[in-house]
Amino acid sequence: MTSKDFAHHTPLYPESAAACHLNRLITSLGDRNLYDAVSQCNRCGYCATVCPTHMETGRETLSGRGRNQAVRLLIEEKLKKIHEAEESIFTCLLCGACTSTCYARVPTADIMLEARRSSLKKRSSIPARIAMKLLVHHRAGLARWLKAANIFKKAGLARLAGYMGVYHALGMPGLSAAEREIAGSPLTFLHEILEKDPSLRTAASGKKAAWLYFAPCGPDYLYPEVGLSTVRLLRRFLGEGAFFRNSCCGLISYNYGDIADARILAQKNILKFEAMSAYEGTSIPVVGDCSSCVAFMKSYEQLFTDDLQWRPRARRFARSVRDILEIIPQDRISRADLSSVFGATQHSRSPIPHSAIRTPNSLKVTYHDSCRACHGQEIRIEPRNVLKKALGKNYAELNESDCCCAGAGTFAFTQRELSEKILMRKISNIAGAQADIVLAGATSCLIQLEKGLKKYYPKARVLHYSVFLDKITSADS
Amino acid sequence: MFKKHRFSKASGKIKEIAGPGNVFCSEADLLLYSYDSGLDRAKPEAVVRITDRSLIAPVVKCLYENEIAYVARGSGTNLSGGCVPLKGGVVLNLSLLNKILEVDTAENFAVVEPGVCNMALQNRLAETGHFYAPDPASQRVCSIGGNVGENSGGPRCLKYGVTSNHVIRMEWVTPEGKTARWSVDDPGPDMLGLMVGSEGTLGIATKIWLKILKEPESIRTALCSFPSVEAAITAVTEIIKAGVVPRTIEAMDKITASAVEARVHAGYPANAEAVLLMEVDGSRQKTERDIKIVETICRNNSCLDWRPAATPEEREKLWEGRRGAYAAMSRLAPNVLVEDGVVPRPKLPEALKSVRDIASRYEIKVGLLFHAGDGNLHPNIIFDERNRDETRRVKKAGYEILKACVALGGSISGEHGIGVEKRVGMSWLYDSGTIELFRGVKSAFDPENLANPDKIIPVSQHTEIRQALLKPAPREWSQEAGEIVREVRERAQRSRPSVISGLRTRLKALNPDYKKEELLPLETMRSIVDLDKPNYTVTVEAGIDLPSFKKELAAEDCHLRIPDMEGTLGGILASKAWIPARDLVLGMQVLLPDGTIADLGGKVVKNVAGYDITKLMLGSWGAYGIILTVTLKLHSQAQPAGKKEAPRPASMFKPGEYHRKLKKAFDPGNLFNPWIFAGPETGVSKDL
Repeated sequence: MTSKDFAHHTPLYPESAAACHLNRLITSLGDRNLYDAVSQCNRCGYCATVCPTHMETGRETLSGRGRNQAVRLLIEEKLKKIHEAEESIFTCLLCGACTSTCYARVPTADIMLEARRSSLKKRSSIPARIAMKLLVHHRAGLARWLKAANIFKKAGLARLAGYMGVYHALGMPGLSAAEREIAGSPLTFLHEILEKDPSLRTAASGKKAAWLYFAPCGPDYLYPEVGLSTVRLLRRFLGEGAFFRNSCCGLISYNYGDIADARILAQKNILKFEAMSAYEGTSIPVVGDCSSCVAFMKSYEQLFTDDLQWRPRARRFARSVRDILEIIPQDRISRADLSSVFGATQHSRSPIPHSAIRTPNSLKVTYHDSCRACHGQEIRIEPRNVLKKALGKNYAELNESDCCCAGAGTFAFTQRELSEKILMRKISNIAGAQADIVLAGATSCLIQLEKGLKKYYPKARVLHYSVFLDKITSADS
Repeated sequence: MFKKHRFSKASGKIKEIAGPGNVFCSEADLLLYSYDSGLDRAKPEAVVRITDRSLIAPVVKCLYENEIAYVARGSGTNLSGGCVPLKGGVVLNLSLLNKILEVDTAENFAVVEPGVCNMALQNRLAETGHFYAPDPASQRVCSIGGNVGENSGGPRCLKYGVTSNHVIRMEWVTPEGKTARWSVDDPGPDMLGLMVGSEGTLGIATKIWLKILKEPESIRTALCSFPSVEAAITAVTEIIKAGVVPRTIEAMDKITASAVEARVHAGYPANAEAVLLMEVDGSRQKTERDIKIVETICRNNSCLDWRPAATPEEREKLWEGRRGAYAAMSRLAPNVLVEDGVVPRPKLPEALKSVRDIASRYEIKVGLLFHAGDGNLHPNIIFDERNRDETRRVKKAGYEILKACVALGGSISGEHGIGVEKRVGMSWLYDSGTIELFRGVKSAFDPENLANPDKIIPVSQHTEIRQALLKPAPREWSQEAGEIVREVRERAQRSRPSVISGLRTRLKALNPDYKKEELLPLETMRSIVDLDKPNYTVTVEAGIDLPSFKKELAAEDCHLRIPDMEGTLGGILASKAWIPARDLVLGMQVLLPDGTIADLGGKVVKNVAGYDITKLMLGSWGAYGIILTVTLKLHSQAQPAGKKEAPRPASMFKPGEYHRKLKKAFDPGNLFNPWIFAGPETGVSKDL
């Protein structure tokens, strides 16, 4: 059945708006237009049991099945106006749990984004659009702006800083409150540090690099320590490598802004990769440490479905992209001596909870599957294997570990009450595991869990996988 | 008739009861509650989310008073349109009632709310090494309340039985919003049994007590392939005859097996015509022995390949293949219609051949999956519902398949329910007298037809005339039974009362006041009408006394698992002298006081078509009708020693409100055993 057989249907958007849309989705069953993709949902309902918004509300309207049916009804004009379906479309966390559980792998998140792009209720405010344009065309300008914000923050003007911070600028004021809570507020951004490091330049030592480090916006502007840890880990386990000097991956534009911008950013990264891999070899991995960005880059092909020239280039690039969660070789890991790692470090700004420092041998570490790692890239087993080997009995599984924490970009702001409920469910699972440390691999999980733990379960702290692994394997080098 | 905006009349009150944030009326909400996993759609006027089970009764009461139709909905995964609001009105969303209230591993029961997901319960029970037997394929999503409504089965029900065999008590909200509590050991008619499988048309379960079982010590799994469907089914029959009751016998045909293999690589042979996935469970010793018996039988029936699972991982891989069947189908096309017919097990090869013929006649793509042990077949038909012509062919073919099942002595649903999709098929299975009885039961509980209206029973009384009865005519009964039917019809014309009793074994103890000439000599009808040995079922006239019946069966190497006791079979059943007998009754012919004969159930072990009136006859003490014949499940071995329960002493029940309402449906003139329902004050026989 092709789209031609259903030529009578009215698409969600006029042909003139096609440039603002993907138009064709890459699904596990092949390329599909939006109508065919959404019609593959046969209403079995399996997704409802894993959809975080459905689990909390019990409402069909807020389930994967309901959302897909809403879009289908819009296309079939049984639901007349898009605003009638906006609750369904805009409450989606885009976590992808539904797709993981679906036999036909209906790409609900992509379908919701296509629907959002047709809606008048676009989120982006004017400053947000400016910020996004800066991200695309004038990154240095954005960096200066954000640095100013961090200076205000250091000066104790947290609220003012919040207004100027990344998330507020990107139209996500809900997260700016959380951002204010972030312990460190970098005055030097990650890319500046890495660019100054001569050993991270390609061909620096005449030797070929074993990896290229991609600095996602989160580690770059908010958590430079994450990126520095990742680089140390890569060095320790894979040998010397280089800094990719990347552009933003484009996910923010893809999710909240202009597809055209996302394409420009993707092309910049692809071009850079082609230039670098010409020297370093095409099999060199591009490693990132924010699962949202990494998953998005792995799906770059989606941006160029109708572009004969760019589609294969995007595919080649995507094949070389790796998440730090999946690239550390398990067989190089040995059991960590936690008492020597944590027993000594006793400075006030340590991210390690005090309970852990007091009794490192009873430390409980758990792992939260960031949605874009488990659902977006099917990375589940690799980080667990590493952690189990390094931690033995100190590692504990987290119940519902692959359920979204509701960080999910704008969600915490637009759906305050719902987001809080989903977050509380996550925190109570963490409490159930009696964890001291929760590990995650995506920036928005770090922000959201930090906020939630501080409020509901201050005993535990959230750390990026890289930061923790770097710490416990530092004795190895 | 459905009037527009009728809900507005009650919306204020409903918002007050359920909370204003729990009433949804937006266009999107209404459209998204207009479907389930089937194909039919109808839009409600409002969706009311229930956040506490104590709110169901007041909400229902308010809706009933305002004449607003309603339907309860759990996970909305019904495959026959069961939770589609045909008359508009209100959808009651129960999915937040998902608390497991109690798990008692000493007494082996669990108490749950209706919205609890079957899998959530299984996971919880697994923590203590227990399980809940019914395991429908959709168990990852379907709710226990829905399972109760549909009387769901699953692969394991061959050995362990369906939902109605595992529900022991329920708190219930009746169609008009009163609360009731039904229990398996209540004196009087088995109301609990009637409610299970009533598809929300007789009320809503609000709290459910379930039997739970200890995980067996050992499970052995094997995959076996056969050169023909016939060979596979013969092997299954021999396995059961050998006294092995497997935990599951799942089967698939060549097309399905190769589709699965292409995706899952579970080691399913591609060249075999039929593949069986079999499991035996019990003690280590028993499974060791059983799996050897199964293997020997399969090898003797020219199996091509015997592949036992040596490790839990291998077992999981084999099951992944079974589960992968639906998955593979649902990737081939946007829609999968999972049909649900059932035939007596020995008829499976014929049924499968019919399915193939129908598929080629209607040019549809079908993968065949079936529960080989109990004769339940699930053709998975793939299509695209946007293609109207294809959809029409698929629907027609589905009906043809069900007709073929009925013609082979089977039924139109083994576990999915009738809902709206199979309503028309009720007339292939039941004559108009029986369907009229179903109508009577419905209106006894819900005279205004507001609780899930227009489901199960054909809406137009003329449907029965247009649709021909396809069920094979029952075997001739004895002359004596014919006499009884004639006598009852004669008495009906003259409104003469009758004493319904067999050998008066239990009646004597009660010593009711009756005249001699009112007695009907039921013990005279005692012929075995149909002993189907390969199917392990027997149809017998209910006047036969149990000791001689068991003797006759034993001579045929068949065993009825009812302990020795005095009296007629009909008397034992009608007086509920031994409650576990309810799990053995598959069908009945019931002679009603007006002379109508209702032909209920059949000789299939799974059948959810229509209300389970056979259950209602248990404990009815003859007041609702005469059990003319009963069809029972047999075993190849006698009840193992040490498991026998003593029969209960006879005790008369005090008719309650709903017993009386049902009595009006069955016996408006109070002609059968009239003293039971005579008012204590008046003593007037007409006073119900």
